[in-house]
Amino acid sequence: MNSSQADENLLAELREALAARAAVPPAFVEIAKSAYAWHHLDAELAQLVYDSVLDAGRGASVRSESASIRALTFASAQFSIEVEVSDDALLGQLIPPQPGTIELQTMAGQAIESAIDEVGCFSIEPKPDGQFRLQFRTEGQPDVLTGWLTLSQPPGE
Amino acid sequence: MRDDPYVVALVARAAGSDKDAWDEIVERYAPLVWSICVRFRLSAADIEDVGQTVWCGLYEQLGKLREPAALPGWLATTTRRECMQVLKVSNRYEPFGGEPEDSVLAAEADPGPVEEEVLRAERHALLRRALAELPEGCRRLVTLLASDPPLSYPEISARLGIPQGSIGPMRGRCLERLRQSALLSGLSDTMPSGETGKSGTRATSRRHVK
Repeated sequence: MNSSQADENLLAELREALAARAAVPPAFVEIAKSAYAWHHLDAELAQLVYDSVLDAGRGASVRSESASIRALTFASAQFSIEVEVSDDALLGQLIPPQPGTIELQTMAGQAIESAIDEVGCFSIEPKPDGQFRLQFRTEGQPDVLTGWLTLSQPPGE
Repeated sequence: MRDDPYVVALVARAAGSDKDAWDEIVERYAPLVWSICVRFRLSAADIEDVGQTVWCGLYEQLGKLREPAALPGWLATTTRRECMQVLKVSNRYEPFGGEPEDSVLAAEADPGPVEEEVLRAERHALLRRALAELPEGCRRLVTLLASDPPLSYPEISARLGIPQGSIGPMRGRCLERLRQSALLSGLSDTMPSGETGKSGTRATSRRHVK
């Protein structure tokens, strides 16, 4: 193979390599990069200990109250977190009550912060669609983080 | 290319707290994950979901990958599996769509063994890195030469402000530099040009066995 043919081959493959990279939408790359930040946190993971949807039982007809209000409870070493999901908002409280901030994090890399008041109450409106998780910051304690959640359907379904 | 020390180092750094290393892994392999999703003809939303699952899964794997150089193979296999999963689930809700067997879906989207796809992606990644490491003058010229559709010498001359007559010699010199750099990265044994490659040997087999 002469050198000009080798150059042509090299350029052809390089063209393919650049086209493969150019075909990837920037958002796809950005979401992938942000996956690292979402995981790489120094926070305690809160356990989901109660979910009204799972408690209601599968197959049984859904009662009206459980259709409109879903209740979740998370447990961590510092506090437990009670969450209620209504049609348009996500309301909750830290037990024992304490102030701080709550951050709603979406898989797409968005983070929306809001305050937790003196009696530990917080609200997020509108309620998130798609996958999200909640991170709680309180003074003098490690952050507490929930696992990824979706409200559209019960986990495991 | 087997056990590419560069990839091994990237994985080790990302498993620590090095966000730059993670970003570079993403830059390097996003085209592989993306191209597999596209081949499975997933919707944009499904591709996003698969991407999230794959990258989050990779994060979990970072400290556990026994053979960090097998990372692209893991990515390709996981992406394929997730794509199949999405197709299976969406298929369930098409009452008249029939229910193609997995094997049919697989055959339709199958570009050949995972190893070949992974090797191609690795070659591409190495070439892009080698290009990025060229001195600026060379990098600009080679980028224009590799553009699709190719630019003519007069166009390149106008863009770079260099005489047409010097493009040819410069091109030879720059491609040689690129080749040297690619050689250093271990690209030679999978280069189709075969000039320096050990013809007949494929790098596929040994790598994923361990």
